[in-house]
Amino acid sequence: MSVTEILNLPHAARIEIAPEAAYGLWQRLWRHSEARIGLIAALLLLLLALGGPLALPYDPDLPDYAVALQPPSRAHWLGTDHTGRDVLARLMDGARRSLGASLLVLTSTFTIGLFVGVVAGMAGGALDNGLMRLVDILMTLPGMVLAIAMIGILGPGFQNLLLALIIADWAYYARLARSYVLTATQRSDAIAARLAGINWLRIMWGHILPGVMTQMAVIATLGLGGMITAISGFSFLGLGVQPPLAEWGSMLVDARFYFPIAPWLLLAPAGLIFASVLAANLIGNALRDVLDPGRD
Amino acid sequence: MTAGRLDIVRLIGKRVLQAILTALGASVLVWAMLSFAPGDPALRILQAQGRADPDPILIAQTRQALGLDRPLPVQYVQWLGHVVRGDLSISYRSGKPVLAELAKRLPATLYLLTTALVIAIIAAVIAALIAVATQGRWPDRLIRLLTQIGASVPSFLVGLLLLQYLVVGAKIGRVLSNGATELVLLPALCLAMLKAANWTQLLRANMLEALGANYALVARARGARKLRVLLRYVLPNAALPFLTALGVSIGALIGGAPIIEEIFTWPGVGHYVLDALSARDFPVVQGFVLLSGLSYVTASLVVDLVNMWVDPRIRQRRAS
Repeated sequence: MSVTEILNLPHAARIEIAPEAAYGLWQRLWRHSEARIGLIAALLLLLLALGGPLALPYDPDLPDYAVALQPPSRAHWLGTDHTGRDVLARLMDGARRSLGASLLVLTSTFTIGLFVGVVAGMAGGALDNGLMRLVDILMTLPGMVLAIAMIGILGPGFQNLLLALIIADWAYYARLARSYVLTATQRSDAIAARLAGINWLRIMWGHILPGVMTQMAVIATLGLGGMITAISGFSFLGLGVQPPLAEWGSMLVDARFYFPIAPWLLLAPAGLIFASVLAANLIGNALRDVLDPGRD
Repeated sequence: MTAGRLDIVRLIGKRVLQAILTALGASVLVWAMLSFAPGDPALRILQAQGRADPDPILIAQTRQALGLDRPLPVQYVQWLGHVVRGDLSISYRSGKPVLAELAKRLPATLYLLTTALVIAIIAAVIAALIAVATQGRWPDRLIRLLTQIGASVPSFLVGLLLLQYLVVGAKIGRVLSNGATELVLLPALCLAMLKAANWTQLLRANMLEALGANYALVARARGARKLRVLLRYVLPNAALPFLTALGVSIGALIGGAPIIEEIFTWPGVGHYVLDALSARDFPVVQGFVLLSGLSYVTASLVVDLVNMWVDPRIRQRRAS
């Protein structure tokens, strides 16, 4: 789901989060059964990405034609591809690109959006107006179409893809952060702090940012699945990670041609992409449930 | 009565004006895309036409011919003038007008998108009705599980697997589709799945909310059957916020179409623009983005107007 759509779900963007809501978050998240599945899956996927490449004796990019297209065996747990590369090694190596890049893009859009949104919301006036018109213009195009436009300008390639996705997505987070800031400044604790003469930087830091960041984190978690989908999708189309480097989406390209004789080539990366998106969605939905229990 | 009608006309006028402004905003973005792209546009065009190292005089001539030596606002207005008259420049690769190339492929894409939209709406309404009618029992839980999964499978994965298992494996349909009417189902299904899952969740939540409202309670108390309450009172009320979500999702459908068209070799604009991306054929990409932006703005406008038409509350609130 794209960020725009998330914003249009009932209540999704309007989560009411009290300042103390984040207290004991992990325990409550752990008690949520769907969140627990998501968290365990996410942990396994992260282990795969971080620890995996150290554990396997195969070079993910080095062909070994003597063992091409072998079915899963004790030596190659998930078999080998058409050039004899170990599929598991490539999946682990690719995990760092597929998942790492998604997290990187998400963190960047989140940070830029938060910064712009907070500045616009706090400053008001001409600066607010100017920034929001820029946001408006960026939001006239659907996110994926804007990403295609940016790839058109920058050209194919992994770094360009990530840059395109950041440019295409930050505006939504900025819009969201601004509206959260505006709501938060009207909350009684923020007004009381202002009346007590506390300077605005401390009000921002102590009363406004914590709630705004929690609200935005929920939306960002819900957006992570879409980001993983977008990155693997564009790589599948040859517009992201370039061969011979491994990435889950680009691994699907060659796998298509060998599917009748070697289905594991396609099923393994496809399964991991699905598991990652599912984990992100489960955690995101549970976060929303846990942080805003009054909903539903 | 006439005063009320006048208000509605004014209201519609305001919304149409807003749509035009949005479209203009999008056009600035699309224009800026080509103008601020790294590198000299004149050089790019010459290179794309096969001259690897054109001489400076030729570059200067091209710049002048394209009006690239004028101030940026003038260039924008000039460009907009061309666009309004249907001149979307010329494809670098084929040398043919972009608009003609896009128009040739547009019917296939529209056909795919509308089929997907219809499938997704029907599936979502039926699934949500079943889920609400059996709330908490196994059909509801099954639907919840299915929508969770459906919302998490990227459409291109569904496409790849359907292609391998159904088309290659079970020999249903054809690997290379030529846009023939009967081949639309598989790609449309892939495109529809994610939306169907999202919309089912949305409709279910909305319907449960409506079910708890007084009008539903009153209808039940007066002895209306549960199905009648659901269809007559709950669904229409739940459908309103759903309409808004529908308008936004059309953007996602447009953006999601290219990869599905590529997988099923569907001869639409999405397939065409992906080829253009790899070949760095800027005018085609620009034309596609403009077309998508306009379709998106138009779709949002239509959804909003329909919303006004069916919901008297919006008319009154906005008019007053």
